[in-house]
Amino acid sequence: MPDVLEPADPRGRDRALTADDAAGQRHGGAATPAEGSVPLAAPPRPDAAVSQQTPLLLFQHVSKWYGPVIGLNEVTLELRDGITGLVGANGAGKSTLMRLATGQLRPDLGSVRVRGHDAWSAQAKQLVGYCPDGDAFYEEMSGRQFIETMGRLCGYSRACARRRAAELLELVGMAGRAERRLRGYSKGMRQRVKLAAALVHDPPLLILDEPLSGIDPIGRQEFLTLFRGLAARGKCLLVSSHELDELEKLTEHVAIMARGRIAAVGTLAQIRDLLDDHPLSVLVAADDPRELATALLALDDVVGVDLGDQESLVVRARNPRRFFRDFGRLVLEEDWEIRRLEPLDESAHAILGYLLGGRR
Amino acid sequence: MGASLLHYRPWRGRFRDPAWSVWPIARVGLGVVLRRKLFWGLYALALLFFLMFFFGQYLLAYADTMELPPLILRQARGGLQLDGSGVMYRNFFRLQGSMVVVVLALAGSMLMGNDFQFGSLPFYLAKPLTPRHYLVGKFLAVAVFVNLLTTVPALALFAQYGLLTSSDYFFEHADLAAGIVAYGLVLTACLSLLLLAMAGWLRRTIPLIMAWTTLFFFLRQLAFALVYILGYDARWRLIDLWNDTYLVGNACLGIEHGTVRPLPQPETYEAALVLGAVCLACLTYLNLRIRAVEIVR
Repeated sequence: MPDVLEPADPRGRDRALTADDAAGQRHGGAATPAEGSVPLAAPPRPDAAVSQQTPLLLFQHVSKWYGPVIGLNEVTLELRDGITGLVGANGAGKSTLMRLATGQLRPDLGSVRVRGHDAWSAQAKQLVGYCPDGDAFYEEMSGRQFIETMGRLCGYSRACARRRAAELLELVGMAGRAERRLRGYSKGMRQRVKLAAALVHDPPLLILDEPLSGIDPIGRQEFLTLFRGLAARGKCLLVSSHELDELEKLTEHVAIMARGRIAAVGTLAQIRDLLDDHPLSVLVAADDPRELATALLALDDVVGVDLGDQESLVVRARNPRRFFRDFGRLVLEEDWEIRRLEPLDESAHAILGYLLGGRR
Repeated sequence: MGASLLHYRPWRGRFRDPAWSVWPIARVGLGVVLRRKLFWGLYALALLFFLMFFFGQYLLAYADTMELPPLILRQARGGLQLDGSGVMYRNFFRLQGSMVVVVLALAGSMLMGNDFQFGSLPFYLAKPLTPRHYLVGKFLAVAVFVNLLTTVPALALFAQYGLLTSSDYFFEHADLAAGIVAYGLVLTACLSLLLLAMAGWLRRTIPLIMAWTTLFFFLRQLAFALVYILGYDARWRLIDLWNDTYLVGNACLGIEHGTVRPLPQPETYEAALVLGAVCLACLTYLNLRIRAVEIVR
């Protein structure tokens, strides 16, 4: 749960929304407070339960440099179960985080642990299934051969690898096309094969880098159902995507990255609620927008009003709950006819925009 | 058919040690190269030297039964030293070496360079194995090629000579068999590590061939010119890595250092030190190089 907020800094430093350890473990995604932060305790979710187990994935003050370029900057993140979305602009550090979690990179500072094991170790990798963004295969191999090879790399015997490959190809819907060479696969088919390769050793933690990329809409629904099913079976999924709409369908819980840091962790609504220095924008369509604008400016939570065309305006307000309450009261008192009322930034797009934009 | 968890079963068994992943890695690499017709063409060319030795031994054994004049037999044996001695096997390794170098230059980019270039390394390194296992697997794949072209044919010639002459040959010259295996191991270790390091660095076929050619042909000519034309110290021949393996191989086969031609030559231990240093440098580079990500290029 996101309930730690650094105080606003007039010098414009990055603010990190981080989550409290003690709450909201059920849906994953908890991070320790950043140093110097002022904890604001948000009410725990009713279904939150504190897990007593070792975190499945734990980043502790992890930093990673590529020469002079910093890939991750003091990242602390903890996952236990459920589905956590990972969003961020290009270059935010998502892929670096995933590669650190899958043991392909070593952190320069801090530690990355998978159920207590160093992420670099073979024991940790046994617990992690990785579906990478790229799909560079050995094109001459068939899908079945590729999955079998991945199974052999995980420690299956030849017979077990063959059986497991058959099961997983059935799972991802590729059983009828498994004998074709990878060279002849479409993008979507490659994604399915990659997912099967990630699941081959039944890992408790799945790290999926853009898993919906290239999948047709029907396939996406299948995959979303599959991911939910895997989470229901106790697996922890960390899913990165640029398709924020799809991610919202999959999970409420997201970690937003910006410039190598975890900028916010929690549900989209909770993150939104905590952004009190970033006003909510609401589109209002009414007969007399100018009069409406004058009345709205009198409200305490309204920061500004932008008049659009002759029939609508955009009001920027803090504290959405209080604003909508006051707005409703105002509309009833003045008997205004409101034809349209639309928050412009409830979606993750807007949250990203607030967190990532405007800081150069 | 769509994706469904209907048939998904959790795994309740035990996994084998990561060391078992070495052979699948090697097998994938071998498969990539063996599917290429070009490789089979080069392998056929490489086998010509072997066939020359093989049929040469057979013809000489047949000629012995024909009671030809000794002078003719001596001349026939003298060219390739087809007398079952260490020199014969040394000559075989030396002749076969040129084909080995060519084959490896082409195979190197396929075996390892592509993993870096096209980004298939994450598929390996995200699995429960360490970069060490990955390297050993690739090393094994290269070792198979090197030994298919050198050690295995040399042992076949050893077996053939013993069968054509006398079974006592196997017992009296068992040290030769060990020497053949040792020479093969030296070539395997040096060439494999060099190839993997260069393939990890250069990745693409043409640059790899150019670098490989520089290493084994240009430096050879340079060393020759420095020592035999310009009269520099014999230690300058140490920059010729192929000559270094040749000197160490001579020692493995029990051939006296003074009989090596052309002279002067550096000492065998000096050649061994150079090869050891090169192998160590390659291992160090590979250890640093096996990272899946190059975001900052």
